[in-house]
Amino acid sequence: MSESAVVNVQPSANRAGKVLRQMIVAAGPLLVLMLMVLFLWVTAPAFRTPTSLLLIGLEAAAIGVVAAGQTFVILTGGIDLSVEAMVSFSGVVAAILIAGTNIAGGQIAFGIPAAAAILIALAAGTGVGLLQGLIITALNINPFIVTLGFRSILLGISLVWTRGAGINIQKDEFLSFLTGHIELGSLRIPMPLIIALILYAIVWVTLRHTKLGRYTYALGGNETAARLSGINVGMTKIIIYGISGLLASIGGILVMGRLQSGAYQNGTNMTLISVAAVVIGGTALSGGTGGIWGTLVGVFIIRVVEAGLVYLSVPSNAKEIVIGAIIVLAVALDVLRRGDIPWLRIRRKSSA
Amino acid sequence: MSQSDLNHTHSPEQPLLLEMRGITIEFPGVLALDNVNFDVRRGEVHALVGENGAGKSTLMKILSGVYVRDSGEVIFKGQPVFFTTPRQAQLAGITTIYQELNQVAQMSVTENIFLGSEIERGLLVNWPEMHRQARELLAKLHLDIDPRQPLSRLGVGQQQMVEVAKALHHRADLIIMDEPTSALSLREIEDLFAIIRELKAQGVSIIYISHHLEETFEVSDRITVLRDGRHITTQPTRALNVDSLIRYMVGRDLSEKFPKEEVPRGREVLRVENLNQGDRLKDISFSAYAGEVLGIAGLVGAGRTELVRAIFGADPIDSGQFYIDGSPVTIHNPRDAIRCGIGLLTEDRKQQGLILKMSTRENITLTVLKQLTRGLFTNRRRETALAQQYIDSMAIKASSQNQLAMNLSGGTQQKVVLSKWMATEPRVLVFDEPTRGIDVGAKVEIYKLINQLARQGVAILMVSSELPEILGMSDRIMVIREGRIGGFLDRAEATEEKIMEYATGANRVVPEAASVMSA
Repeated sequence: MSESAVVNVQPSANRAGKVLRQMIVAAGPLLVLMLMVLFLWVTAPAFRTPTSLLLIGLEAAAIGVVAAGQTFVILTGGIDLSVEAMVSFSGVVAAILIAGTNIAGGQIAFGIPAAAAILIALAAGTGVGLLQGLIITALNINPFIVTLGFRSILLGISLVWTRGAGINIQKDEFLSFLTGHIELGSLRIPMPLIIALILYAIVWVTLRHTKLGRYTYALGGNETAARLSGINVGMTKIIIYGISGLLASIGGILVMGRLQSGAYQNGTNMTLISVAAVVIGGTALSGGTGGIWGTLVGVFIIRVVEAGLVYLSVPSNAKEIVIGAIIVLAVALDVLRRGDIPWLRIRRKSSA
Repeated sequence: MSQSDLNHTHSPEQPLLLEMRGITIEFPGVLALDNVNFDVRRGEVHALVGENGAGKSTLMKILSGVYVRDSGEVIFKGQPVFFTTPRQAQLAGITTIYQELNQVAQMSVTENIFLGSEIERGLLVNWPEMHRQARELLAKLHLDIDPRQPLSRLGVGQQQMVEVAKALHHRADLIIMDEPTSALSLREIEDLFAIIRELKAQGVSIIYISHHLEETFEVSDRITVLRDGRHITTQPTRALNVDSLIRYMVGRDLSEKFPKEEVPRGREVLRVENLNQGDRLKDISFSAYAGEVLGIAGLVGAGRTELVRAIFGADPIDSGQFYIDGSPVTIHNPRDAIRCGIGLLTEDRKQQGLILKMSTRENITLTVLKQLTRGLFTNRRRETALAQQYIDSMAIKASSQNQLAMNLSGGTQQKVVLSKWMATEPRVLVFDEPTRGIDVGAKVEIYKLINQLARQGVAILMVSSELPEILGMSDRIMVIREGRIGGFLDRAEATEEKIMEYATGANRVVPEAASVMSA
């Protein structure tokens, strides 16, 4: 007899607080972002140009695309720790295929047109993502472990293929287009930002208006119930990790194109930042709730903080400290959102 | 509680250890406990009985600090107390031994007893002292268990005894036992009763919750009956008998409670032949017919849930053949089952039936999203229309289609799950404990929906632990005992006694005879 285990019932006195909390959850990240921009606008004169804003947009593009893939995975209740290695990997693959030289000496170029090289790199990244999903579902291994393992494998491959250095490439027309910008009046809008926004729109439609999107939320909400409702849970997961691999690879191409170099360091820190962006954006680490636009806001928050540190003349070495603090804060926010902090809980009837 | 009941006390010289007065707690849509009084004397075994959903567990969860009451007072050892965490209750001397034991199987008996209260010498754990004390505690309970061996080596019964030893270690004055015998063999139950008597002799009080009324009579001094969250009576055990107790527990006209409709039995829809699954299911064969409600009864752990999960493809089977409309089908997973027209309403709605974070609409359409998808995208208009159709036809009480499933009442949640399955237009619908945790009014609504489905020619399988529900709603009853079919009963001949005979094997039925009966 385990009747009515009612979770988180707030008495009426707390209702106002609950509504307030929901509003903060919904609009909170955007509000924080706007306050931060406002703060910099007022305190840092150098920040007050459209160019600096667009620069932040450019900085946000690659990591934004990576974080979009991470959002899918985290919505299902999983995590993809391999994304930073995937960024490096796809960049290295594309760079090797495009005419380029190895800094360590020797010609290792294949001389394939950039567009084709990029397609191959994206296919490789997607394939590795699908493979991770397959291992996670077929062997029922925790995604944490599988993607952590693949992080090492992919970084290792990138190291071996580049002999530890970077592979520099010449920009061709296609690559210049991808990493260039569009003139809009006096504004020069970076192409990577446009690509990122288009991808975000596609992801949004996928999450909201397709079966796959619904299944993504269903898996994160309750995998057992999803399975018992006839959803092909395994296939859904495999596709999700494939999507994460694809988006991380696209991020990798954007980074490689900008740097004109495929190197194993290209993706450094991107796993942490992508997870932080997803969580800051309101997606629960446990899965099932959240969305893609929050992630975009999360990415911009992190990038604005980084830019702000520069404008406020904080030594660049201290950047890591701030990023670390933001990540911890973001997870604390996630816990707070769920109302799971005992000493902050006023009154609760809950399931035992 | 009437005054005369109070005067009937078993041993008037014993002082009250616990007094709960006017306990009230409300969950959304359900007044789970309404002004309930309950008390326990020192050294007394006080049994708490009632049907599922009567409020026994809720009352105990309030006592042990899991739930916080809305009103009422609790006086323990003469002091008013207000526990908000289980730990506070434990420190005060109230220990609960749960149905599912919360122990660490890999750790030793000693470690389990001292978990969270390890004895230290300086910075190190004082193993010799802990083992010595553990041995002492076990000896007190006349248990011959080596405290150094891992808990996993012990049987379930002995593991439970270790839990009792742990309660003694915490100097519990009051031990709550919630269905302590559900996983025990007959011998182990005897051992447990011996220990309960031993505890009584040492002045420990026990609140005993069990569905098995005979046990209750054997072990208790007083019995309190709860029904629908209200206190019905408290009487000395010797003043009651099984009949009078059941009357207190049920307390209402059964025919009104179960609005059964007669539907003519149609053609065979599902046939199961020689189904085997490990030692959980053995050689099970039966048929289900259009328009028939086949009740599936049996003791806890007999294999009822395992059976319906196997039919639904939720768990793999070793051997067996399924037929739909006479043609053989293969069912490897729930997707296959759904394709064959089978739906399953699981016993645990929240863990297995619903996606609580999703909206009412999204839960209803989850099973048929494929049909609602045109090209790449889901058709939102058709989805909304479908959801609304079920919200209207089932009278689902949701503020909107977007209301999250987690905010619905138990009965409404069950209707949402039912909608989800009706959307698949099933031939066979399996209900596992369809009304568990649902209040009385909503129960009747669920029964009416079952009637409606039967009228439409759906074959219904209904697993239930509540015998009145089985008797009230089934056209035919299949009793499962230890993974086998214990026998079939027709509606006309079925009684609680007969079901229990088949369930316990007291009056052994030859399986052949049983299948003849069903044919």
